[in-house]
This record gives sequence, C-alpha cells and structure tokens, in this order.
Amino acid sequence: MRLPRRILAFAGRLLSQPGPLASVLFLVGLALLAAFADRLGIDPLAQDIAASLEGPSAAHWFGTDELGRDIGARVIHGARTSLITAAGAVLIAGAVGVPIGLVAGFFGGWRDAALMRAVDVLMALPGILLAMALIAVIGRSQSAALVAVGITGIPSFARVTRAQVLSLRKRDFVTAVEAFGGTPGYNMFRTVLPNAWSPILVQVVVLSSVAILLEAALAFLGVGIPPPTPSWGEMLRTGKSYLHDAPHYAVLPGLVLTVTILAFDTLGRGMTRLLEDRDSGASGLKLEQASR
Amino acid sequence: MISYLLRRILQLLPVLLIASVLVWGMIYAVPGNPVAVMVGENASAEQVAAETARLGLDRPVAVQYAAWLGSALRGDLGASIHSREPVLKLIGERLPATLQLAALATLLALALGIPVALAGAVAPNSWLDRLLSGWSALALGVPTFWLGILLILLFAVELRWLPSASGYVAFWDAPLQTLRNTALPALTLAVYVSGIFARFLRASLITELNADYVRTARAKGLPERTVVMRHALRNALLPFITIVGIMTASFIGGAVVTESVFTYPGIGRLLIQAISSRDYPLIQGCILVILGIYVAINVVVDLVYAYVDPRIEYS
Amino acid sequence: MKVDPVLSVRGLQVSFAGAEGPVPAVRGVDLDVWPDEVLGIVGESGSGKSVTALAIAGLLAGNAQVRGSVFVDGQDVVRASPDELRRLRAERIGFIFQDPTTTLNPLMTVGRQVTEGQVAAGRLARGEAGARAAALLREVDIADPVGRAGQYPHQFSGGMRQRAVIAMAMAGRPRLIIADEPTTALDVTVQAQILSVLARRQAETGAAVILITHDLGVVAEVAHRVAVMYGGRVVETGPVRDIFRNPRHPYTAALLNSIPRLDRADSRLDPIPGQPPMPAELPSGCAFEPRCALGRGQLVCRASDPPLEPQGPAQRAACHFAGEAAAPVRAAARAAEPRPEPTAEPLLIVDDLRVHYPIRAGVLRRTVGHVRAVDGVSLSVRPGETVSLVGESGCGKTTTGRAVMGLVKTAGGRILFDGQALGGLGPAGWRKARRHMQYIFQDPYSSLNPVKPVGEVVAEPLRIHGVYEALGGARYVAGLFERVGLSPRVMERYPREFSGGQKQRIGIARALALQPRLLILDEPVAALDVSIQAQIVNLLQDLQQDLGLAYLFIAHDLSVVRHISDRVAVMYLGRIVEEGPKDAIYERPMHPYTQSLLSAVPTPDPDARRHRIVLEGEIPNPASPPTGCTFHPRCFRADERCAREAPAFVPVPGEATRAACHYPGPLAGAPAGEATSLEAAS
Ligand code: SF4
Ligand code: SF4
Repeated sequence: MRLPRRILAFAGRLLSQPGPLASVLFLVGLALLAAFADRLGIDPLAQDIAASLEGPSAAHWFGTDELGRDIGARVIHGARTSLITAAGAVLIAGAVGVPIGLVAGFFGGWRDAALMRAVDVLMALPGILLAMALIAVIGRSQSAALVAVGITGIPSFARVTRAQVLSLRKRDFVTAVEAFGGTPGYNMFRTVLPNAWSPILVQVVVLSSVAILLEAALAFLGVGIPPPTPSWGEMLRTGKSYLHDAPHYAVLPGLVLTVTILAFDTLGRGMTRLLEDRDSGASGLKLEQASR
Repeated sequence: MISYLLRRILQLLPVLLIASVLVWGMIYAVPGNPVAVMVGENASAEQVAAETARLGLDRPVAVQYAAWLGSALRGDLGASIHSREPVLKLIGERLPATLQLAALATLLALALGIPVALAGAVAPNSWLDRLLSGWSALALGVPTFWLGILLILLFAVELRWLPSASGYVAFWDAPLQTLRNTALPALTLAVYVSGIFARFLRASLITELNADYVRTARAKGLPERTVVMRHALRNALLPFITIVGIMTASFIGGAVVTESVFTYPGIGRLLIQAISSRDYPLIQGCILVILGIYVAINVVVDLVYAYVDPRIEYS
Repeated sequence: MKVDPVLSVRGLQVSFAGAEGPVPAVRGVDLDVWPDEVLGIVGESGSGKSVTALAIAGLLAGNAQVRGSVFVDGQDVVRASPDELRRLRAERIGFIFQDPTTTLNPLMTVGRQVTEGQVAAGRLARGEAGARAAALLREVDIADPVGRAGQYPHQFSGGMRQRAVIAMAMAGRPRLIIADEPTTALDVTVQAQILSVLARRQAETGAAVILITHDLGVVAEVAHRVAVMYGGRVVETGPVRDIFRNPRHPYTAALLNSIPRLDRADSRLDPIPGQPPMPAELPSGCAFEPRCALGRGQLVCRASDPPLEPQGPAQRAACHFAGEAAAPVRAAARAAEPRPEPTAEPLLIVDDLRVHYPIRAGVLRRTVGHVRAVDGVSLSVRPGETVSLVGESGCGKTTTGRAVMGLVKTAGGRILFDGQALGGLGPAGWRKARRHMQYIFQDPYSSLNPVKPVGEVVAEPLRIHGVYEALGGARYVAGLFERVGLSPRVMERYPREFSGGQKQRIGIARALALQPRLLILDEPVAALDVSIQAQIVNLLQDLQQDLGLAYLFIAHDLSVVRHISDRVAVMYLGRIVEEGPKDAIYERPMHPYTQSLLSAVPTPDPDARRHRIVLEGEIPNPASPPTGCTFHPRCFRADERCAREAPAFVPVPGEATRAACHYPGPLAGAPAGEATSLEAAS
C-alpha cells in the first residue's frame, strides 16, 4: 500500500545517478539475454573442431574455444548459470540469515549468544573454503554450488540484520510499542523488521556480486557446476591453458564477469549513499556537521 | 588487560569446538560408507571392516570424537589416504609458503590501500576522491583469477619478466628468487584486498574527520597535517586493525584461487587436491590448521587493540 | 569606550550549499566585544548563533560561503590565509565546545591535548609542555593536576573534561574566548561549577568572552551584554539588565514571557505560537512575523526586514514597532487557579521499589555486584495530580518511570495501580494494565515509527488492543489529533515531515488513544526549543484538567517542574531524598541536596545574581555509592555520623516535606555568607 510508493521513490532517486543507472541497464540486459538465450539461435554446445581457438570475428564475436564452440554463446548461457546460482544463493542466505539476526538482536541474551556463536563458526573459514568443504561433502552439482554459496552468505545477512535490529531496539518507538502493550512478536515483525529493510536490501545486492564471484571461483577450481553446463569460471579455467595461443579465451569471459560484479557493486554503493543521505537528512539541516 | 584477553580467547573456544565437531563429523555426512570411501573403491568387505576397527568407528560416537580430538591436539592428524604420509608433515611443508605469501600480500595491500584512503578522505567527493574510489571499486570487483591471468599475460607471456608458475623457496635462502616467485600472486591478492582496505579506511577516516575532537584540534591552531595524522588517522586505524586481521587470516587457505592460478604450493592448493581426491584426513587436517591460525590471528588482533587503545584496560 | 574591541564583526553572512540553492544560516550580523567583557548570544535552534561562533574562529567547513568582515585583534579572519588562521587560533582565540564527551581525542593524554596547540605553534618548548599542562589544569581547579595530565579523557568525569577543555582554550592566553553552549551537556550542579570557573578565569585574564547559549538563566547570570539572535540575525542587543528589564523586540519579550521560572509560580505560560523558522524557508520581511503578536499581518513587517536600530542609549533592536514592544506584560500572571485538593485514593502506589543492574567482571563475566539504579523508592500519585521526580543524570528517575511501566525488571518492592499489584502480572495482565498507563518519551525524533504515517502511529495502540473499531476508528483518531492541537489532515504524513514540537504532540495523542488514567512523562519537553516548551507544557496542563489525568512527571529542569507539579520528589543516587508539596520544596527545602540543587539553577533575572552553593565534586559512581548518607562527600552539613549511618526517609518535624537527612532544616540565616565561604573553599 504505502511501502511500494516509498520504494518507487527510492528507485527513482537511485536511477537518476549515472552509475547505478548504467549498472541496472547492464544487469537487466544480461538477465534478458540469459532468460531468452535459447531463442537467440546460438548454441553453446555446437562443436566445430576445425574452427577451434579462433580469435574474435564477425561470426564469433568472442572467438571460439578449444572445441570450436562459440565463446559468446557460452558466455550468455554462462550468465544464466551465474544469475540463477546467485539468486538462489542469496535467497537461501537471506531466508536463514535474516531471521537469525532478527531473533538474536531482538531478544539478546542466551539466544543472541548461541546464534551468533553458530554464525561465528561459519565465519571462521574463508567463504571459498567453506563452500569447497560443503561441496566435498554433498558432491558436485548445480544445486550443491547454489547451496554451498548460499550458506557462506548466511553470516553477512545475520550480522547486518542483527546490527540494525540492535540499533532499532534502543529507539524509543520500539520501546513505545512494548509500553502500550504490543507483544514481542508484533514488535519484532511489525515494528522492527519494516524499519530494518534498507541495509538488508543493500546486502542482497552486495551478496549477489559475492555469490557470482564465488560460483565462478568454484568453477575455476574445478569443484563448481560440472561441465558441460557453460559457466564463466569453467571457461576461465580452461582458457588459462591456452593463454599463449588464444588469450581471448580467458580474457573475454573474465571481462564480462568483472563488469557484472562491478555493476552490482556500483548499485550497492549507490544505495548505501542514498540511505546515508536520507538518514542524516532526517534530523533537519545539520548545520553542525558543516563545521570543520 | 590479561582478563580481557582471556575473555576474548574464551569466546573463541566454543567456535573452535563447534567447528572441530563439524570438521570431524563431515566424514559421516558423506553419502555412502565413509570407510569405503577412505579405503578405496576396490576394497573388500574385510578390508573395510578392518579399517573400521582400526579407526575405532565401531565405538560410540562421543568416544570417537574425544579420541579424534585428543590425538589432533597432540599433533596427530592421521595420515593421508593417498600418500600415506602424516597429514601434519604434508601441511608443514606447505605452511611456510602460505605464510610468506600472506605476509607479502598484506604489506603490499597496506602500502596500496592506506595512501588511497588518506588522499580520498581528506577531500571527500573531490575529483581525486572519486577517481580513487573508482579505483577501489575496480580493485574489489576484478576477480582474482582473472586479474591473475591478466598479470600472467602481461608479465610472463608478453614481457617475460616473471615466472607464470612459482615454486616455493625459503626467503632466507634466496630472497630475490622468493620475491620473483611471490610477486605476482602477492600482487594479485594485494590489489583485491587494498580495495577493501581503502574503502574501509576512507569511510572511517571521514567519520573521524567529522568528529568533535578533530574540530577541537583545528580550533587549537594545529596544522592540518597534524590534525589528520595525529588525531583522525590514529582513531580511524583502531577499527581498521580488525579488518587487517581478518584479511590476513583469509589469506591462509582463502587464497586457494590465487594459489591455483599461479600453481603456488600453498596450503590452499593442498586442500583442493585433498578435496578432489577425497582425502578426508587431509581435508580435516587442513581445515583444522586454518581454523587454528584464524583463532591465533584473532588473538593477535586483540593484543594489538589492548596495546593501542587506552580505554580497554579499564572497560 | 576608548579601547578597541577585541572582536569586531560587520555584515557577517554565512550560507551553505543546499539541494535547492544556498541556504542562509547567518544573514548580516554585527557584533563588538571588548576586553574583559562577556557577551551572551542567545537564540533557539536555527537562529545562527553557533554558525556565527564558528565563522568568527574561521572553523566553518569548505561548503560554507562567508561574506562580511570579522576582525579579531585587528586581524581579518575571513580573508586570512590558512597559516594566518592557524596562528590566530593558537594565539588569540580559545574555543570551548558543547559536549565534553566528544571534544577530546580518546587516544591522547589530556595533558598533551591541553598544550599541543601551543607546542605546534612554537610558543611552548616540548620539554616544558608537561609542567605547563599541569599548571593549566590547576588553574581550572582540577585536583592532582600532575597525575591527571597523564591520564586519558575516559578517566575524567564530564565536568572535569569540560574543565580540561577550558584549560585548553586558555593555554595560549587568548584575547577572545568563544564558549558554544559550554554547560548544556552538564548537570545543573556541575554547570554551576563550570560557569564559576569560566567566570573566574575570565576575570583573571581579562579576556573577552562570547558565551553562546539557549538558556536565558545562564545569560542573566554571567553575561554583561546580550545579543538575541533569530532567523540568522541579531534582533536585539544591549546591556544584560536592559534586555531582561526592558526588552524592545517582540521576540525577546515573548521569549522572556514564555519560559517557566524558578522564582515564580504562574499557573499558565504564555507560549510563542508556531516554531522557529528553518534557514531554508525563511519568511520574507521580518523573520519573526508569522509568530509576532505585534506585527502579524502588518504589511510593513511582511514587506521589509527591519534594520537593527538604536533604542535608547545602549540598546538596539530590529523591529518596525520596537517602541511598542516594550513592557513585558506578563499577561499570564493570572492567579493560580486553586486546584482541588486531591483526596481520592492514590491511583499509583510505588512502595520500596528497587531496580538493580548486575556488574559483570572477570574472565567469565560473572556478576560481582549490582548497581542500585533505584534503591528503595516509594511514592504515590492520586487521580488528577502531578507528581514530579527531579534529579540529575544517573539519579534513577527515568529507571523508576520505566519500572512502573514494566519496561525494566524490578529487584524488589511493590507497584500498585488502582489497588492492583503489577508485580506478579503475566504478559496478558500487563497488556491490560498498560491500557490505563501510558508513557511519553523524551526524544520526539526517536519515539515515532518512521515508516508509518502518523495517523497509523496514533491508531497503533488501538489496533494492538483490538479496540480500534469499538472506539470509533478513523473519526476517533482524528479527534485525538484535534485534541493535541493538530489538524487531522496531517494524518497521512510521515513523522519526518514534522517539527520536534509537533512530533511530541503526536506522541501525546498516541498516549491518549487508549484513554489512560496515568501518564508517565519522561522529560517530555527537554529536547524542545525554549519557545516550544511552553506550548507543550500548556497542552499537558489542559489535558490534565479536561481528562482528569494523573501525571508522573520526570525531569531535570527545576523550573518546568515547579510550574507543572503538585508534589515534587527529589532523587539522588537511586533514592528520594526529599519529597513534599511543590511550594514547600521550592520555598522551604529541608534537605541540603535540594537546597544546593535549587541554588545552582540560574534565574533569568540579572538582578537576582546570588551567591550559589557550589557543590563540590560530581555524582559518585552508582556502582560504588558512598557509605552512610550517599550525599555526604558533597554535603555542606555532613559530619562523621553521616558517613556512618544512612538517614531514614521521614517527615521533617513541623515542616511539610519528608526528607532523608540527619540534619534537615531550612538554609541557615545568611545563606549568602555560608555559600561564599563554601565557594571559597571549593
Ligand atoms: S518587525 Fe513587525 S513582525 Fe517583526 S518583530 Fe517587529 S513588529 Fe514583529
Ligand atoms: S544526612 Fe548528613 S550528609 Fe546526608 S544530607 Fe543530611 S547532613 Fe548531609
């Protein structure tokens, strides 16, 4: 009812800046290409050994790989893998991490201690190692990669949510609900959560880029999504063997990967900056801050 | 202060304990009979039974864990399934290379990141700041494996200045050789982490530069240089210590990708090899050692904190 | 005057870059300050007083546009190079900031910070810095200055930090000292100490001082001359006595009328309507016009901004009708309406209430003791009555209010509401009880849910209790808005679109929604501008009269408390030390703490400058309170019995109050003499 209007206004202000606008355009374009990859008349699996490891040309914009497959087609299909994994992983991480942070921050005490210790355990290993260890246990598949990347994202959601909830918990309007008789459940879901969305949203964007990177890294190490499903990391992995003869093989897919990550990052930074402006603008003109 | 440190260590203990349970338990989560996996696919039923007994897997779970933890604490991490060599020895061979890479990468990242943060923070939103922020974003966004490939292309394939794959030589034996070998992987890691450093330090510096005590310092008539370096930077470096600690810890094992781009013989690559060959004792050993170093670095960070922040003694 | 002024400001204009063009914060200010003189600058938020101060020291950020001229000791600040500016600050200007908790660098010893500026300017040898720091700290009455100089700010109490800041400002023997709200963040007894240190050091050094404050009492007490600022301009200036006796500008007059006074007991305040203008949206013509009783609607006032013109020998005012503004008719001097003597059974009874917070220490964070935040408080509130809890920070007044509301766990004692014990209530029982008791928060900025339109904010308690429809739905909520003086048309808007005073009205509407019988008001006006406070205080009084509400009023401002209360309880370190009818407490206090507290409050009357009882020291750490009477280390009547034996809280024979003191009694014979000797002793 009201929330959508606020979100629209926020999106409007976000997209009035060139960086975030370009990022969104790129990401939407990429998503569309990935979604309709099958109808583009390009085949990521069609081999043409005679034309292997060719540089970029009119027929193959991104050149061909060691089996003569069109790298451009593989990049587009790889985008699908990447985006699906990222979306799924962020969903898992958020679905687990946000409630953890909410409960830990809202109730504090032993619940907080127990939950956050559990989160600490996940943090003790670098994300890539955690994902690798998980894949070692559950085996190598697309869903394994998705779940493993998702689990590594749980701590960030939990911590961001908890920090936000903790600061909200001290605000009088939360105490006020308690004072006029709202139950803890009402307070947590109806008062605290609606006020905690913005940093969580930023986290969604930030983690999307982390997830894409992680998925690619796993594939690069040979423990990600098994071939022949096209994946950016996998292409870099193979491409690296042909650095001398066909540098485009590793360089071009890597470029697309990098631009995707940068787009998410730019978007995330734009959102953070807007939210900071809004928060500092809330208390009036803030002339005090103008002094140096 | 001693009590503060002890308390922090006590907080880390449960993490380590739970983690060790998980590491130990991961074998059981593997589909199929773990012993069969460990003995090999062609093993006979007797062999499996013998191995089960040898590993004590027929005993109650808690006893098994206690025995495992006990020997792990005594330094006995078992033997690799593949090479039959003690896990500890395998790890010991790789650790120096990893530590050396981590140290060099951290130093490089600090050298790249701190000046960028300083230059940006003293004039926020100036063209220089925007440029440097863009650089940080780029440093952060470029995947290390792609950057590694680009660096190899440039320095090894095109210019032929540096080797594309690097073995490990102890620094004291051949310092120059070491630098040549470690330069590219360290630079790859450092570029990424310098982005994190710069972004974090810039933000905390800007916060500090807007703090009241900085205004006080200016009101005293201190030169701007002194205001920034003596007042703001020192305060901004406090939270930064934690970030440096986390990042350094993440180089231990977390540098797998970079290590494999440059085929660098670190602990991360050992772990990959272990995973791809399903060498469970080796996997467990690697993870335990990485966790141990993570905890140790955390303790060091706390020590540094207690040393530089006068408030800690009394809190 | 023959001497040249130390500071001379002409046509100062400051504007900041805003989203919609530059925002004028200061719009043409002229000031002169001579040596050995204290100029008080008063104004509300957005009046431009702090920006003026920062501009004088050249401390404004790069996004500030400064025009006009500022000469300090003959040196132009506006056109000075960074180097000249630095030298000026090191040698001729000392700056004292508001919040002593944040003005010192936490990572540097206090001594080093005090002398650092002088060392950097080459006016002090590094080797002598230590001794100089100790000497400076001694001059602001810091005990053990040598030891203290080597300590860090977190080891200092709030008052001591502010002394250190004063020492720092004095380090270069500046000719001009600018103090920006130097006591606003401090407790009233500490404020008295700091003001007297500041006054003494000013007299000793003959420096010129600019004292910026919103507190008319502080100005009346220490300033020689006053400049009143409004909407970025000085609207009136003159000797302190003239300003307070014979204000020529309608704003000054109205401001003086709107504040509650410690020395008077009016039944009703005379608020200034509306709110101070935001620098971004100043009205055309006279900035005060929308709120001015004299000029409202006058064409000339709307059309042109009046210049600051002489009014009499020493006074100047910026008003088209300056002459007529005179004579602060205290229109509100209506006689206090006799309140019905409340005889009914108490609505709220608090009996021996205790709230303890655990102190954890050691490796295992075991509880090693308790902070007795509230340590045996007993009080009662009858229907229609206002009982106030007053005290300085950390005395437990807010915790008491929150415990009554069930927001903090109690460690002992009973709370009875309407005869029913609240202690053993389960969640459902509390829910029911809370319908009849509501809480109003101090900070209107944080007490309203920012993502809900204010209509929903007010309706929320009704929905939670499932009585929204039963009570009349949106119509009822609209009625609540009208009740607190807001148009129901604003119900669709979000909290951030309202000013502080309006937000507080919304908070009150929300508290009234469930038709409670008791309101617990936690510093409800402390965060508001002076001219807005009166509006809210009046609203609260009207509501009480119309609805028969009982108030538990928690505050540190003794003037507001005197104005609104029927009975007053004074708290110190978790206990009530004196309690009684308002007039008895204010006219004939029996407890030494009450007496000191009252004497520490500055009165907005320059002729009433009296000798204060300046209490030594600050409030002790509640984690380890002193033995016996917890007030004894600071008490002027204490003897060894007080250190040994805690006094009982009993009626004072022959007096109207009850007190916890071994030696209660009115302030003996010549309070002035006694106070002077005390002051000398401190
Ligand atoms: S100029 Fe007019 S509006 Fe302004 S203060 Fe004077 S009478 Fe009031
Ligand atoms: S009991 Fe003693 S120390 Fe306490 S207030 Fe009374 S006279 Fe002072």
